[in-house]
Amino acid sequence: MSVAAAPTAEAGVAVAVSPHPARRWRAWDWLLALILPVSLGIAWEWAVRAGHASGRLMPPPLRLAETAYALIKSGELQTHIAATMTRVGLGFAFGAVAGTAMGTLTGASGVMRRLLDPSLQALRAIPSIAWVPLFILWLGIFETSKLALVALGVFFPVYLGVLSAIQDVDRKLMEVGRVFGLSPFGLVLRIILPAIMPTWIAALRSGLGLGFMFVLAAELLGASEGVGFLLLDGQQMGRADSILVAMIVFAILGKISDSVLVGLSRPILRWQDTVRDRL
Amino acid sequence: MTHLAVQHVSKFYANGTQALADVSLHAGEGEILAVVGSSGCGKTTLLRLIAGLDQSSAGAIAVGGQVMHGTHPTISAVFQEPRLLAWLTVAGNIGFGGRRLKPAERDARTEALLGRIGLAGYGKRLPKDLSGGQQQRVSIARALIGHPGILLLDEPFSALDPFTRASLHDLLLGLWQELKPTVVIVTHDVEEAVFLADRVVVMRPRPGRVSETITPRLSRPRDKLSPLFDAAKRRVMQAIDRSLSEEHRPPPRQAADGSSLWW
Ligand SMILES: Nc1ncnc2c1ncn2[C@@H]1O[C@H](COP(=O)(O)OP(=O)(O)OP(=O)(O)O)[C@@H](O)[C@H]1O
Ligand SMILES: [Mg+2]
Repeated sequence: MSVAAAPTAEAGVAVAVSPHPARRWRAWDWLLALILPVSLGIAWEWAVRAGHASGRLMPPPLRLAETAYALIKSGELQTHIAATMTRVGLGFAFGAVAGTAMGTLTGASGVMRRLLDPSLQALRAIPSIAWVPLFILWLGIFETSKLALVALGVFFPVYLGVLSAIQDVDRKLMEVGRVFGLSPFGLVLRIILPAIMPTWIAALRSGLGLGFMFVLAAELLGASEGVGFLLLDGQQMGRADSILVAMIVFAILGKISDSVLVGLSRPILRWQDTVRDRL
Repeated sequence: MTHLAVQHVSKFYANGTQALADVSLHAGEGEILAVVGSSGCGKTTLLRLIAGLDQSSAGAIAVGGQVMHGTHPTISAVFQEPRLLAWLTVAGNIGFGGRRLKPAERDARTEALLGRIGLAGYGKRLPKDLSGGQQQRVSIARALIGHPGILLLDEPFSALDPFTRASLHDLLLGLWQELKPTVVIVTHDVEEAVFLADRVVVMRPRPGRVSETITPRLSRPRDKLSPLFDAAKRRVMQAIDRSLSEEHRPPPRQAADGSSLWW
């Protein structure tokens, strides 16, 4: 047993000594991750070109590239992206601000929690898409109702994240704040808000994800522009390539927005002492 | 610097546990009081009441002659764990204890204290990059930057190795000599109590009471190897033994000052 264990221990020492043990193989990681999609794409492209498949329902990669290029050249894609991102951006801003404010309020005050949380939980039980008819009735079929839907989708994960994060704040740190003379408001500002920052960012990220889901729902239910409209239009025209391009655009937009959020939060979370960045 | 008087304080927790029963003690201006006693005899409870983090069920606590309610600007504390705010730098954490100071004054004192605790140049680091002993030193600096009248310490060194502990004893005494706060330190370590304290309060449990108070009567700086030091240690240990055997007997009629009974 001890003989078998020895090499492991030596390997452990070697890892500890090397300066950047974890991130040395980044380039290889990329290559490895790309093998599967790239080879599938090449195989499909070959299959269609060789006449083994028609590619009508599942266009090959180069067809998609052509379609995307045409959409960009005509400026259509940019218009759709701008419309969608405006809706997500504004809806996210409203939902995140409201969710954070409500979460802080109910988290920091027991009275507020007992007053507001039951009602909010009841509202949460309604599947958010079920609000669509009411929003359209109240706010019209144009932008406002779409924004409201996105904001609603963002609100709940942020609210719940902030509320539970506040309740999880270490009592011991609160005591430090009290011993050194912080007022209740000071405690929120100097202890609670920094302490919940990691969970808050995580909640914002899931809120952003839901924001994209809800913007898509709003656009599918009636819009004259937006990436979701492109998707619906492709279906009605029987153009699988447009649909796939729209799907890929959604993936890219989601990924970029999420990365921006992570990038913005990184300096704020520098202090975190976790095994691996929680993000 | 500030007189502290605990007068007939009792504490019942919500679950019915009586943690303290009629505890009275006082600490003169600039005096160092050590509190020792077996686990669960209410030492932490006592410090939390003095710090204003919890409320007594009966009795009063007076600071500088005035009965206090809640936390008090002149009382500061060092906890068993460093309890640094992870999102603030080392300098920010020290400055946190001096929130009532003007920024310039606070920065100057932070800088001075960083040097004092042997962490000059560490100001911009984050707590996670410090060792346990270094973190505890930062927490001591945080507690002292506001020049508190009363400093409370709850087993501040129990998680540290003997070398670090000895150096922190010297650090604490050095800072105490400069600022002369009244100090109440809870400890499990008899040697630590005798080394630091002007008087050692021995408590006994179920419910927590003051058993007796021992006065080491040693001049400073103290020599841990001297026979007088040993004798003082022995007196405290005997008092602890008595407090443990008393557990099984009804409480004595005679009040706290047991040292005169035996010596
Ligand atoms: N929040 C609480 N609720 C109920 N009972 C408590 C609470 N805190 C402490 N106690 C009880 O009060 C008594 C005194 O506890 P305390 O923590 O003051 O002891 P201690 O002397 O500090 O012990 P130790 O040396 O182990 O730190 C114990 O019996 C404990 O179980
Ligand atoms: Mg304790």
